[in-house]
Amino acid sequence: MPLDTSAYSLALLRVDGRRWNELRRIHAQIRTQAAADGSSYFEMGHTKVMCVVNGPSEPGPRRGGTAAAAPGGGQSKDAEVAVSIVVAGFSSVDRKRVGRGDKRILELQSTISSALTASLHTHLYPHSTINISLHVLSQDGSLLAALINAATLACVDAGIPMTDYVAACTAGSTSTYAANDESADPLLDLNHQEEQELPGLTVATLGDSDRVAVLVCESRVQVGRLEGMLAVGVDGCKQVREILDRVVREKGRRMLQEGTVEKGVGLDEMDMD
Amino acid sequence: MASTQHVLLSPAELAYLHASLSLTPPIRPDGRTPTQFRPLVAETGILPGTNGSARICFADGTEAIVGVKAEVERTKLSRVGPADELEGTRLVGDVVEGLAGAGGTENITEKEEIATNGADWVELSVEIPGYRDDDAGTAFLSAMLAEALLADGEFARKLYINRRFHWKLYLDILLISPPLSYPLPLLSLTTHLALLSTRLPRLKSEGDEDPFFDDDWAAAPYLYPRRKGDSGKATSKPPVSLLVMAVGNSIIFDPSKEELAVADVALAVSIGEALSSSSTSLGKKATTEDAMNLDDGEGRSLRLLSVRTIDPPSRLTPPGVPNATNSAYGAATATQKQPEARTAELEAVEGVWKAPRGGAKPLVMAALVQKVLEKGGVADEVLDALDAVDLV
Amino acid sequence: MPREAEPSLNEKQFILQALQENLRLDGRQLDQYRPLELTFGDEYGVAQVSLGKTKVFAKASAEVTVPYTDRPLDGVFTIMTELSPMASPAFEVNRPNETEVLLSRLLEKTVRRSGALDTESLCLVAGQKCWSVRVDVHVLSHDGNVIDASCLAVVAALRHFRKSDTSMEGGVLTVYTPAEREPVPLGWLHSPFCVTWSFFGDEGETAVLDATRAEEQIRVGSCTISLNRHGEICQIAKLGGTPVEAVALLQCTSLALTKVKEFSTVLDRKLAEDSKRRDKSGRAAELTAENDR
Repeated sequence: MPLDTSAYSLALLRVDGRRWNELRRIHAQIRTQAAADGSSYFEMGHTKVMCVVNGPSEPGPRRGGTAAAAPGGGQSKDAEVAVSIVVAGFSSVDRKRVGRGDKRILELQSTISSALTASLHTHLYPHSTINISLHVLSQDGSLLAALINAATLACVDAGIPMTDYVAACTAGSTSTYAANDESADPLLDLNHQEEQELPGLTVATLGDSDRVAVLVCESRVQVGRLEGMLAVGVDGCKQVREILDRVVREKGRRMLQEGTVEKGVGLDEMDMD
Repeated sequence: MASTQHVLLSPAELAYLHASLSLTPPIRPDGRTPTQFRPLVAETGILPGTNGSARICFADGTEAIVGVKAEVERTKLSRVGPADELEGTRLVGDVVEGLAGAGGTENITEKEEIATNGADWVELSVEIPGYRDDDAGTAFLSAMLAEALLADGEFARKLYINRRFHWKLYLDILLISPPLSYPLPLLSLTTHLALLSTRLPRLKSEGDEDPFFDDDWAAAPYLYPRRKGDSGKATSKPPVSLLVMAVGNSIIFDPSKEELAVADVALAVSIGEALSSSSTSLGKKATTEDAMNLDDGEGRSLRLLSVRTIDPPSRLTPPGVPNATNSAYGAATATQKQPEARTAELEAVEGVWKAPRGGAKPLVMAALVQKVLEKGGVADEVLDALDAVDLV
Repeated sequence: MPREAEPSLNEKQFILQALQENLRLDGRQLDQYRPLELTFGDEYGVAQVSLGKTKVFAKASAEVTVPYTDRPLDGVFTIMTELSPMASPAFEVNRPNETEVLLSRLLEKTVRRSGALDTESLCLVAGQKCWSVRVDVHVLSHDGNVIDASCLAVVAALRHFRKSDTSMEGGVLTVYTPAEREPVPLGWLHSPFCVTWSFFGDEGETAVLDATRAEEQIRVGSCTISLNRHGEICQIAKLGGTPVEAVALLQCTSLALTKVKEFSTVLDRKLAEDSKRRDKSGRAAELTAENDR
């Protein structure tokens, strides 16, 4: 069913009632699980993702599912970031089972692994593996962005040194590629319906900068439209980064109050940033 | 069936664990009593996109999420063999008559017959991070959970719409954390809660027409209907599987992976709860030898649905060969010395625990099962605890 | 699992320092492609592309099958990629590695999902019969930039391909042999091409086109942009790697467009040459036949 965008030009409101530059509700938690080195839960609208990080640790025996192997595979000077994604059968509206050999999943795994490798200080952990396992509980568009954000938060929780947050979001454009109208507005944070019908891209940036770590566009769009979409996307990433930062600081403050961290050490570290 | 990945414990640690667990009363590493469960955090209805969902975190950090999705599927009447085909059609026909005519009086034989049909009405998949989904361990886990679910014979009846259509239930069980201890109890409890919170849209169509449903989710009935008046208590319950192990003479519930490493025998016992009123009919319904029925007088009657032995890790490790008899260490005459070598191997050495060889004794098995079904015992405790979880 | 030998520290330093001075080992400009060769086979639908030492072979074929039940009005279109040990010792048979997965996903997104081939024109009888077009991509020799070469080979093979002509009369479907009726080209909508940028330096400030194998091994990130000559982006994939300034990516995209236009003219010219060659030989054959009579 084609998405009715006719209402947009009248009220400037999208199908879910948002304005063009509005993010969906983002809810994030870190340290959700006691057993893991790092864990997080990330929710962007109805897209819900959980992430568990184990390591850096000695690479275990190779098992199926971790196809995203950095060159060197644990034997190199840098730590390997192994990502595995499990898409729950109940995550989409119609139940669909996604096998682990699915090329789309393999591509996502490789993307996340490579994006985080560039931000994490992997050279501090030679001959080791950082295992990131992601679970998709519910999908409603912007899946790659949610996965990247969840993985970043979990890595922060695991205490793996990194240069900055890798924050991601999606951007789109209000009319399809065929209509070459200049008046098309860029949109921020696409939901599933918009993702199906409108051109869009996923951007991930490093920290506060304009530097783009991931840029994935899978739909046809006029080249002139790219600049606007990218600008909105990068701006959205900065908003997401703020939210991630708030979540981490809030958790840190609570842990200090509850005395989970030794006070002296923790306070110094908190003051530093 | 391997219980979990190997735990790296030294012989001294194993010996200590074995010794302290064999005491009466046993002393467990985490100070629990033998029948005590680890504390857990549970919530239901976490995923609005599913028909039912639940999440449970054990205190050791293992965590599982279960989502239930239901789809309407056309009932296949044809069977593999021609004889079966006739049988199958007749059976379904009978059920329809039974439903239409009696409108509620239940004919037990029919129920059983749907149950034979019900295996492909439920699809259960288990995902454990780091393991392939066709891994033997994963497949065994899902088979065990499915077996318990179908064993009470009533499950397929709940999915029946009319003679042409039925609900197909998809249970996706995700273990979020790495499998620290044998995940069966965790997965089973989470599945139990998810099924309790599962609702199917209310049927508006009648008879054999193509089914259509009420849009109002608030009116959707639960898969396991609640008792009227009593706040939110289900009249019948999905099964739970508990893990029990024996060390020496002590019986220990919910073992951690260290405890499991020194188990003599470990059992996965699935129990169901049936309505006390229908307990008289249960005897007739018992199809398997091990099905039995205990009334505890409190209105809850526990039924034993299935028992499976779990191989503790000690069974998977080949027993060590003393250097004296090992040909690699120059014992060329090992073959001749075999009888003496064997006796030497069987001799107990102070401070070293040797994994038991051979199967478990029937008496121990019986004691384990008895303990699970005991009045006011662990099973009751667990079911009470799960009852207390608010269903959204 | 066999691994590619990594370049030594000296080699790395040498290549990187040269790149900082805008020099490349083979004397090219940073945004210059290696000499591109495109040849067509005697059969329809066979194309071979070489970029320097990288060689890619693509063959298109078609057969009549039953359409997918969920898409009764569409034909079937598949792209199969194969990286065999022939291309590089790091590849194993029947074991897709990351390079192969990413390559096949990129071709899928660039050619199939962008709707370059009109799959509806492949339908013969709705829900019952359709053409299944399949392109097999074989990388014969891997010296970097397999993606751009493969994409060009796939597009060239598909545009060169002719499928047997068919007719529908009174519910009877007839597929004609090439002798009975001249085969017809596929319904082609637009020609997308991939352009891959490789980034070097700590902040990915040096962007290089058409990287060789050695350059690929030491690059810190890459971005593949697929466009057609009408300026439509079909796909962009910067899958991780060192972050690059957004503005630089925009520049890369506009430069990529000029490259794509070049590819497009080269392909059009080659196709025209090939058809002229075939036409000549075809007419000559006819003439000889007439003479015989």
